[in-house]
Amino acid sequence: MKAVKDFLSNTWKHRAHVVMALPVFLILFFIMYVPMAGLVLAFKEYDFTKGIWGSPWVGLKNFKFLVASKDIFINMTRNTLMYYIIFTALGTFLNVVLAIAIDQFVFKKVAKTMQTLMIIPVFISYAAVQFIVYAFISTDTGILNNTFNMGVRFYSTASLWPLILTIVKMWNSVGYGSVLYMSVLAGIDTSLYEAAEIDGANKWQKIWNITLPALIPMITVMLLLSVGSVMRSDTGLFYQVTRNSGTLYSTTQVIDSYVLNAIYKTSNFGFTAAASFFQSVAGLLLMLFANFTVRKIAPENALF
Amino acid sequence: MSKKGNKADLAPSRRDRIGIGQYILGFFLLLYTLFCALPVVLVFIAAFTDEKAINKNGFSYFPEKWSLSGMNAVLRYGQQLLTSYGVTIFITVAGTFLGLLVMSMFAYSISRPDFKLSKFLSIYLLIPMLFNGGQLSGYLVFTTQYHLKDSLWLLILPLCVTTMNVIILRTYIVNSIPSELMEAAKIDGAGEYRTFFQITLPLLKPSLAAVGFMMATAYWNDWQNALLYITSDSKKPLQLLLVNIQKSIEFLLNNNNVPASVKAAMGGTIPQYSSTMATVIVVIGPIMVVYPFFQKYFVKGLTVGSVKG
Repeated sequence: MKAVKDFLSNTWKHRAHVVMALPVFLILFFIMYVPMAGLVLAFKEYDFTKGIWGSPWVGLKNFKFLVASKDIFINMTRNTLMYYIIFTALGTFLNVVLAIAIDQFVFKKVAKTMQTLMIIPVFISYAAVQFIVYAFISTDTGILNNTFNMGVRFYSTASLWPLILTIVKMWNSVGYGSVLYMSVLAGIDTSLYEAAEIDGANKWQKIWNITLPALIPMITVMLLLSVGSVMRSDTGLFYQVTRNSGTLYSTTQVIDSYVLNAIYKTSNFGFTAAASFFQSVAGLLLMLFANFTVRKIAPENALF
Repeated sequence: MSKKGNKADLAPSRRDRIGIGQYILGFFLLLYTLFCALPVVLVFIAAFTDEKAINKNGFSYFPEKWSLSGMNAVLRYGQQLLTSYGVTIFITVAGTFLGLLVMSMFAYSISRPDFKLSKFLSIYLLIPMLFNGGQLSGYLVFTTQYHLKDSLWLLILPLCVTTMNVIILRTYIVNSIPSELMEAAKIDGAGEYRTFFQITLPLLKPSLAAVGFMMATAYWNDWQNALLYITSDSKKPLQLLLVNIQKSIEFLLNNNNVPASVKAAMGGTIPQYSSTMATVIVVIGPIMVVYPFFQKYFVKGLTVGSVKG
């Protein structure tokens, strides 16, 4: 009883802070929390006239669709996971390599200018990027086909797209991603390097024994943060850059682009709702699992 | 930072170290820089290339013939282009300011030391990062429950508050603004609001600049919400113009059901390569111009915000 009273009087004392926290509270409530409740749609048959809450319950029927249409569902889940793994593994590796490379480069002014140019791609929307990609790989007017006389029909050859999308994604994100690691490198105590030098360590030994270990906590945190979005993709990359071309779906359709298509064409809401539900729940479980694992191994790097 | 301080004593040994290795490293860095920058350069070249040259030789860094017709074609969008610029600027400015204001107030509140409700508020903030309703239920809730279809609110609110940004702001308040300052202000008789607006907010500037720039680019580049929610021309942002151009090219060129005569008749309205690239410049240009000025802020802001707290 006293605890409740204390709590209430504390809250009243801080009423100004409650008021200041209110706008974000409300925005999150209406934009993030209410749609969470909308996930119940996975267990309903959506009826446009009755809305989300009024539509009739149908149990697991939507999930039966999901299982029945194996190809579509398995294909988009597989693609989602595959691209997550490629982008995260390669991306982290390149971020770290680039950060160390820039850090080691002694011409700092030049490095700074180069870095400015490397970050630019991240600020170009995929709606614009797709025109740039088109200029390189279109069949008749593309630079690649014209320069090397290849005559490859990129936009109808699904097997090439994991490579194309990986290149575009790395082009887009590596320069920017390395900024974070560079800031860690800037914070390393230089006396460590000096001590290593006195002990006779060469450049590579210093990178291996001092630089890399210093980056590990940041790498862990970034990987952990990314695990929460395993099931979500960079929708623009898969929807815009591929020109949403149906012939490429076998290697380019991810859950998010499927859902976007379904909403845009107002089709298959039952199936889509079940897929969304799967996406949200799987994302949550992966995040909890990842955090649990990090907690066991290196508690200081866990998120919560 | 410590490196800079030591520059003087290190200078001689550094010069010794500039060996062949540095030039090899520089070469690879230059290659990567070109890989990042050249595709953007192509946009500018293509926008000023003669349309016939593109049709004949394809896109090229060394066009056969230059022309201004691409840029002129963009100007012919006239009214719609101006409207879209207006919409994009409005949502970018309004959204960024609104977001910064409400998020820094929230960050300030939950960082008050003896505020008991702040535990609950922190968890409330964290949950959307772990779990969310996904696009479909968001779409249905916004359009059928809130009836906001074709409303600019749906371009502003969904991008307005993100957990990560609040954490960045909170970390900055906790680590870089001495709480004695806030207490001193209170002892001098300033109320809570005044303390926040006159003491905390001005000191938060570096972090606000970083978060604000990231938010502004997110608003500027958002095409997805526009594609889903915006139907009337008067509310179309720039990105949706780009998406529409692509969709109409797709429809006219790849749809076999469109008779040749119709295609010919619509020939004048098929967006051409050079004018499309010119439109891309119009859309991405402002960010390219503004970004270098904000670079130091967001590098700094990221650094501070990345500290787990």
